[in-house]
Amino acid sequence: MLEGAVLLLALVGLGLSAACLDARLGGAQVGAPFGEVARLLVQQRRRTLLRDTLLLRIGVISLIVAPVLAGIVIPLGDAPVADLAVGIVWFNAMEVCVWGSLWLTGWAVNSVYPLAGAYRLVAQGLAYELPHMFALITVALGAGSLRMGDAVQAQQGLWFVVWMPIAFLIYLVSALAMAFWGPMSQPVGTDLAGGVRAELSGPDRLLFQAGRYALLVVAAAAAVPLFLGGGAGPVLPSWLWVLVKTAAVLGLLVWVRHRVPAIRMDRFTQASWLVLIPLSLVQLLVVGIVVL
Amino acid sequence: MVVTEWLLKRAADHPRPFVVSAEHGTRARLLGEAEIARRRWRPAEPASEADLLVICGTPGEEFEAAIRTVWDDLPGPRARVDLPSDATPPSIGQALNRAVAHLADKDAQWRDAAARAGKPWSPDADRNSDSHTPDGGSSHHGHDSHASHGQEHDDDGHEGGHHEHHMGNPGGLPMAGRGPDRDGLSLDRLHVSIGPILSDWPRGLVVESVLQGDVIQDAAVRWLGSGESFWAEPWNKAAAGHPVTRAEAGRRQAAAYLDSLGRLLSVSGWSGAARRARALRDRLLADAPRAELAAPYRSFERQVRRSRTLRWMLRDVGSIEDGDAVSRLDGWLTRTRAAIDALEDETPLDGAPPVRHTLHPGLLVGGELATARLIIASLDPEPAVAHA
Repeated sequence: MLEGAVLLLALVGLGLSAACLDARLGGAQVGAPFGEVARLLVQQRRRTLLRDTLLLRIGVISLIVAPVLAGIVIPLGDAPVADLAVGIVWFNAMEVCVWGSLWLTGWAVNSVYPLAGAYRLVAQGLAYELPHMFALITVALGAGSLRMGDAVQAQQGLWFVVWMPIAFLIYLVSALAMAFWGPMSQPVGTDLAGGVRAELSGPDRLLFQAGRYALLVVAAAAAVPLFLGGGAGPVLPSWLWVLVKTAAVLGLLVWVRHRVPAIRMDRFTQASWLVLIPLSLVQLLVVGIVVL
Repeated sequence: MVVTEWLLKRAADHPRPFVVSAEHGTRARLLGEAEIARRRWRPAEPASEADLLVICGTPGEEFEAAIRTVWDDLPGPRARVDLPSDATPPSIGQALNRAVAHLADKDAQWRDAAARAGKPWSPDADRNSDSHTPDGGSSHHGHDSHASHGQEHDDDGHEGGHHEHHMGNPGGLPMAGRGPDRDGLSLDRLHVSIGPILSDWPRGLVVESVLQGDVIQDAAVRWLGSGESFWAEPWNKAAAGHPVTRAEAGRRQAAAYLDSLGRLLSVSGWSGAARRARALRDRLLADAPRAELAAPYRSFERQVRRSRTLRWMLRDVGSIEDGDAVSRLDGWLTRTRAAIDALEDETPLDGAPPVRHTLHPGLLVGGELATARLIIASLDPEPAVAHA
């Protein structure tokens, strides 16, 4: 119960901090996200002809539920909310639910740009998911377990980021893609008038944006037990180390958005399949040999 | 009630403006964008995100109808600001202040909401009263919002602006027709007008496209309104016999390049670099001296040139005889630097203004929407420029 409350608090706190940092880096006032929340709370709903309200609700609500469910397997200090034996697979599965959320949202509003944004999401998913899964499998192989806690235990001597650097880099790229953020934000791109979220306003948009930040936080937080030794660190208590490391990864992901242009999937898919997948397999092989 | 009022005030402190440039609106747009950046408001990227619609210049009849459609779809609280072509920085500031006050005004927003709730909504609510052009132009302003209207057109039933409710079709709209696509599949063909109200979009451009998925199968280009004389103003003045220095023309030209760069970088999804380009543009137009501009420009140029991702994404995009999008980007950067370096050249201006690109619809066919947006942004085309 307590862990659950802590998880939600951490998601809200880190999500808002990420939004404020993003606003600051984007040249706006730091408090802009709070103004945006107020604006969306009083905003009316946009209407489109023949929208499928049920699918839209499912899409928008699942977008915020999925990252919370993905977050329950991440150890916040010593233990996660739910210490599943297949935690890494669970995390991956919840994060793939987001594909469904975005597709339903893009489809349900019955408008061209959101639909085209949803197409882009599918292309993006095909490009990033395989290297992403290989990166996760590399961690599981190194830990000899699919439990997040075991992955942290296995890093007592040496963090995985040190001897699996390629898997870590691939994980960071796919974390951006997972949260359709920054260079991987084509599904909600400006050039598509906002893509999937183009017709969302008021509470729908608030939930959508909150879900997106929650995803970003969860993607950053999962990097800590997977690659950065979990709560390991001197002096400070382990929960604080988790928080510090998560905030560092999160800050990096937010910063990248302002430094790198958007990556189009018609170009990235080729790079992903011809470079990232072989690289991730080589990393898997190396880890496999070391473990043997 | 108290909570609503408080939220409205908080929201009004952080408005999301969307700036539309209509005919003769470039000057007002630039001043408006500079003022919005100065206030550190976050511009709405698509119009649908906005609560503040800023119209610059004097929209023609068709443009005004498109604006009205966007306005009708804009969820409240909302405010509209009209900046005339001869707007001055103080008058723009006052207009924006009034709009913010309107956004925070609970009673006004209630009245607006009640008036809208009173009349039944349909996507074509205001269209019956419009004077439609028979070629089907004015009924489909493919603005940001209701792009779904594109489905109203069928392959063979070009409906124009008339309301024909087809029995048996959902919502009275004909189903999208099918056609073979580039991979030999049979896919829906949607007729979508892209523009004229989009962010980072050339003023008045409408691309009538046929989409399958997000691939453009067919495209036609038309322009609302004529060319803009703002960027060519120094040359027009010189041609009319007024004394104009090279420095003045170079300043205007560098600002034009930076404006185009801002659009291209923004469409490329690199809002940080786009903001730098626009900040430099605003300082150029505010008559900042060369010494204050040269160093920041160099730093901006270095950042853009060093981005390998940008080059990777722009390579072989929109190749015409003068090269692809990368070479056009490089050209803009080089010429901007030259123009900034020559900001102290007081010799009289002669010659003609640099020719801007035109847009051939054939360039867009066969590419994804994303590529089409990049092609258009990398050309930043204009209709025939009006000379005085």
